[in-house]
Amino acid sequence: METHLADFIKGTAEGDEAESILRRCVHCGFCTATCPTYQLLGDELDGPRGRIYLIKQVLEGTKATEKTQLHLDRCLTCRSCETTCPSGVQYGRLVDIGRKIVEEQVGRPFAKSVERKAMATVFSSPSLFRPALSAGRAMSGLLPEALRKKIPAVSAGSAWPAPRHKRRMIVLDGCVQPTLAPNINAATARVLDRIGISLVRAENAGCCGAVAFHLNYQEDGRAHMRRNIEAWEKMLIDGAEAVVMTASGCGSTVKEYAHHLAHDQAWAVRAQRVSDATLDLSEILAGETAALVPLLEAKVQGKPRRRLAYHSPCSLQHGQQIRGKAEALLVAAGFDLTPVPDGHLCCGSAGTYSLLQPELSQQLLANKVKALTGSSPEGIATANIGCLTHIQSGTAVRVRHWVEWLDDELGA
Amino acid sequence: MADVEHWAEAVRAAAAAKRTLRIRGGGTKDFYGVALEGDVFETTGYSGVVDHDPSELVLTVRAGTRLSEVEKTLADANQMLAFEPPRLGDNATIGGAVVSGFSGPRRVAAGSARDFVLGVRVIDGQGRDLSFGGRVMKNVAGYDLSRLMAGSFGTLSLLTEVSLKVLPRPEAESTLAFPMLESEALDRINRWAAQPLPLSASCHFDGKLWVRLSGATAAVETAEVRMGGEVIGKEEADAFWTSVRDLRHEFFTGSTPLWRLSVRSTAAPLSLGPQMAEWHGALRWIAADLPADKVHAAAAAAGGHATLYRGGAKAAGIQRLAPPVLALHKRLKQAFDPAGVFGVHRIHPEF
Amino acid sequence: MGKPEVLPDPQFQVDRHELVRRLAAVLPATSLLYSTEDTKPYECDGLSAFRKVPLAVVLPENEAQVQAVMRVCHELKVPVVARGAGTGLSGGALPHEQGVTLGLSKMKSILDIDPVARTAKVQPGVRNLAISEATAPHGLYYAPDPSSQIACSIGGNIAENSGGVHCLKYGLTVHNVLKVRFVTIEGEVMELGSEGLDSAGLDLLALVIGSEGLLGVVTEVTVKLLPKPQLARVVLAAFDSLEKAGQAVANIIGAGIIPAGLEMMDKLATQAVEQFVHAGYPLDAEAILLCESDGTPEEVAAEIERMEAVMRASGATQIRLSKDEAERLRFWSGRKAAFPAVGRIMPDYYCMDGTIPKRKLAEVLEGIDRLSKEFGLRCPNVFHAGDGNLHPLIMFDANVPGQSDLAAKFGSRILTLCIEAGGTITGEHGVGVEKINEMCVQFRPDELETFRAVKTAFDAHGLLNPGKAVPTLNRCAEFGMMHVHRGEERFPDLPRF
Repeated sequence: METHLADFIKGTAEGDEAESILRRCVHCGFCTATCPTYQLLGDELDGPRGRIYLIKQVLEGTKATEKTQLHLDRCLTCRSCETTCPSGVQYGRLVDIGRKIVEEQVGRPFAKSVERKAMATVFSSPSLFRPALSAGRAMSGLLPEALRKKIPAVSAGSAWPAPRHKRRMIVLDGCVQPTLAPNINAATARVLDRIGISLVRAENAGCCGAVAFHLNYQEDGRAHMRRNIEAWEKMLIDGAEAVVMTASGCGSTVKEYAHHLAHDQAWAVRAQRVSDATLDLSEILAGETAALVPLLEAKVQGKPRRRLAYHSPCSLQHGQQIRGKAEALLVAAGFDLTPVPDGHLCCGSAGTYSLLQPELSQQLLANKVKALTGSSPEGIATANIGCLTHIQSGTAVRVRHWVEWLDDELGA
Repeated sequence: MADVEHWAEAVRAAAAAKRTLRIRGGGTKDFYGVALEGDVFETTGYSGVVDHDPSELVLTVRAGTRLSEVEKTLADANQMLAFEPPRLGDNATIGGAVVSGFSGPRRVAAGSARDFVLGVRVIDGQGRDLSFGGRVMKNVAGYDLSRLMAGSFGTLSLLTEVSLKVLPRPEAESTLAFPMLESEALDRINRWAAQPLPLSASCHFDGKLWVRLSGATAAVETAEVRMGGEVIGKEEADAFWTSVRDLRHEFFTGSTPLWRLSVRSTAAPLSLGPQMAEWHGALRWIAADLPADKVHAAAAAAGGHATLYRGGAKAAGIQRLAPPVLALHKRLKQAFDPAGVFGVHRIHPEF
Repeated sequence: MGKPEVLPDPQFQVDRHELVRRLAAVLPATSLLYSTEDTKPYECDGLSAFRKVPLAVVLPENEAQVQAVMRVCHELKVPVVARGAGTGLSGGALPHEQGVTLGLSKMKSILDIDPVARTAKVQPGVRNLAISEATAPHGLYYAPDPSSQIACSIGGNIAENSGGVHCLKYGLTVHNVLKVRFVTIEGEVMELGSEGLDSAGLDLLALVIGSEGLLGVVTEVTVKLLPKPQLARVVLAAFDSLEKAGQAVANIIGAGIIPAGLEMMDKLATQAVEQFVHAGYPLDAEAILLCESDGTPEEVAAEIERMEAVMRASGATQIRLSKDEAERLRFWSGRKAAFPAVGRIMPDYYCMDGTIPKRKLAEVLEGIDRLSKEFGLRCPNVFHAGDGNLHPLIMFDANVPGQSDLAAKFGSRILTLCIEAGGTITGEHGVGVEKINEMCVQFRPDELETFRAVKTAFDAHGLLNPGKAVPTLNRCAEFGMMHVHRGEERFPDLPRF
């Protein structure tokens, strides 16, 4: 599309990036077809092509109002549109830029700002999140429905094998996952241990930065990123093979550290090193099938196959463009995957979206639960803690990380 | 030989003199319609194939050309008019086949006369020589006035040339027969039609369902095995389908009024009288002297409409159009033929 | 910008305040947009070179609201431009500056599927592909498959009489729609067509299909469904010249084969999409053909054998057969994503849509190649070879001054080539605003007048999608297309500028 950026942004790093993205868009509209919010609302302004246009208007010098902000807020950043786009428009990056500028122009009412800042802070920090969750459980009667349903039951921790192998990988502990579902990383450690890899934590690492960054506290987000880079790079130099992501939402962010810090001279190269070393757990295990598959086969042999529905998180299938890997591992582990219509659509979790846009989030959740449970599976497997708790809030069918299902089979 | 310019002049003269013209090709469908009004205007003088390149799948032909001649030209190239137009007499012309919009048994699988019209050349009521559509397979420039001519019975304009999509003849053809009652036949044929089977026609009459298969040899053979039924010999089968197409089957030969009902294919048996069902149930012929209201109501309830095709009180037998639709018909007639030269009252008593 | 400024045909003077007040009375708040911030993203459809901001955008949720909007606009004499998914490539949904854009995107329910009668009743905003997805469990599908089928709506398909890669065998939209509910500019509802195969009176359904939103607005559609073929396979054949590929097409049809799809792409097009789809297209071939066979396994095997033999005899340098469904879809995905994929190499493209007799293919492609050199703009070609429908893609950069105009002139010359070859300016994308001048070349004044008379029968005040599809005679005179057309001088009575 033809674009003429306004002076305030022209020639800046952000402006150049935005322009090159906009110029790729040919306005074909394919993206609207796979956009969850366009499918619900049927308004161009609530689909990627319309949002690109809204951002274009702002970049071309028209002042935004709360209306543009609302349409950008409604975007889940699921990046389904990027998978669909034949022209290679990097929508996710453009919307980051657009949100920042619109927020600068429009601002937020004080109460909303406080709410968003609180989320950015609490969700990014286990030491704040854990007591908040306990308090939430205690007071669940007082909370709004959407939030109340999301407070999960206490999940037991489980044994983490001591490091014994020469091959080592780093796990991102993350922010909410250790509190909500400590078993995921422990199960990952056990599975890797069986195939000769020890999974280790980094002392000073923490939240990947996504929560703050996507709430548009971009600098706070970058501070998290720098802290993690600092914590991991020494371990990588000392021989750790990879940084393993067990939550695909974090994974898609960590893989983009290099992009987010590209203009920070002191950190660009270090960020690149970390991004390069970052892999989703499914990528790691898909590369270790020679060791893993015989173990699974031995366990599965002679047992009836079980039926699971698999939900691929947007951050995995669209953000990281990883498809089919976890699914193949589950099949190897003796599970049949039931058909799930509209598998490309978001479940409505989308980080803090479920709290900020409860109405749309709940509609997406209802649709997703219907799609996942339509063929009456025994359980649901997914790859991201956000999706996991969100989907679990809408169904009695058990939702777990796929590695937990896998670990059970190996341990059985 | 007549030419278009002379015809145009004749139309202008008729318009000036406020005369009406009754366009007539072979006259084989004179029995049809509400009324025949106006001075006969013969089109058979303007005939001949204008263009036919088999690899283009397009035939352009003058309207007065005999249908039999058109079909011979195509057969020589191993092609056909896939809508299988009825040949109601030896003199039937291609122009009549198109403007009547009548289609034969293959219509249910291949499409109707209008589906195969690609372009027309017509003279309108002001005597203007106009071309719409074209000689190519796809063309969306301007309104699709060429397809509008199919079924218009010369009420809008005088057709002089038509371009049609033509298709290769099927490699193999086979007819199966199944003794069964109408309700079962309707159910079976619709269920078969929902499966990838090479059905090209069906007809239920007198306790027997006839099904024709057309296509690649392999497909026809597989379908024969899958569907079962009695395989009818080629000669008998061809004679049967031709008699159904041309309304020469014994069912059509009486003098009882003949109703033609176009309905939802799955509509339950209508039980209005002696009947033949074609097009997987979407076309029901009824030979019975019935009050028009009753037939029209039954057709409407079955998702369609009914026409008194032959015999009886014609004007009453035409199912009335909804008032806004009729008003639109009149305005369209005005657009093509402001002086009212053509086909007055032929397809509807009110226009 | 881009092409010469489009002259508004009739002039409209609308009191915007009054219009918005009246619309607000008949629509929910979320269905009415009127601030420029909200309406600007609606300023263009899939053809972004033409842009106009409407006075208001309405997004009705049901037929009653469509009727109410039409009544308001009819009473206030406000132009109405219907819009489906906004994927059209001829600017058919380009807004009118004094008008209302009527988006059907909220009306997207599949109302009924009848698997035995093989029909689906849907609202106009339902996506083309969504129909096939919803009917797949019954083994049925909706046949027309325009390249934008993932996103384009059935209502838009009706407006444009869309085709697709399978329409040689399975027909266009007009062949696959049984019935519509249709709201006139007066707000009256009509049912056109029938659940039976024939309908009473004139075939108004055929007239309305492809009328580009100039006759009324469709609010409900009953489509015909076909049984999904048991198997489909694609032969991919490479040729070292366009002529040979063109001859192969003629030979296939000449042999009595009607492929389910028969598509050609030239070298530039192949190279452009290969980066995106990785379909494994041969990059050194001057042209590739994709030829699909569908049916029973036995039937497909036999037909593929014949197709391959004809391709070989026609000089194919390489022949590949899709080995499974995934590969078949990959072969097609390159073709279907061809237009937008060009966005990866060049910021803007201009997609033409002429149709020609197949025997003129080599001649016309040579002509396009000559023009490409003359204008200095690259122009890959994709081509529905089976039915002669060409899609040259003129590549340009709208940010470079003058290039848009150049592209437009280039396009116009291509369309003239198509008409001279005995073809038409548009096979399936519609005239819209883009090819309106070329309508003056394809049709004579009397014919254009007839079109306008038909329009008047539906819409006496010219409120529906004004300025599109059918030019005024004055406009044609202004366009200066004083070509000698079929031996007569054009527009002898009109003053020359």
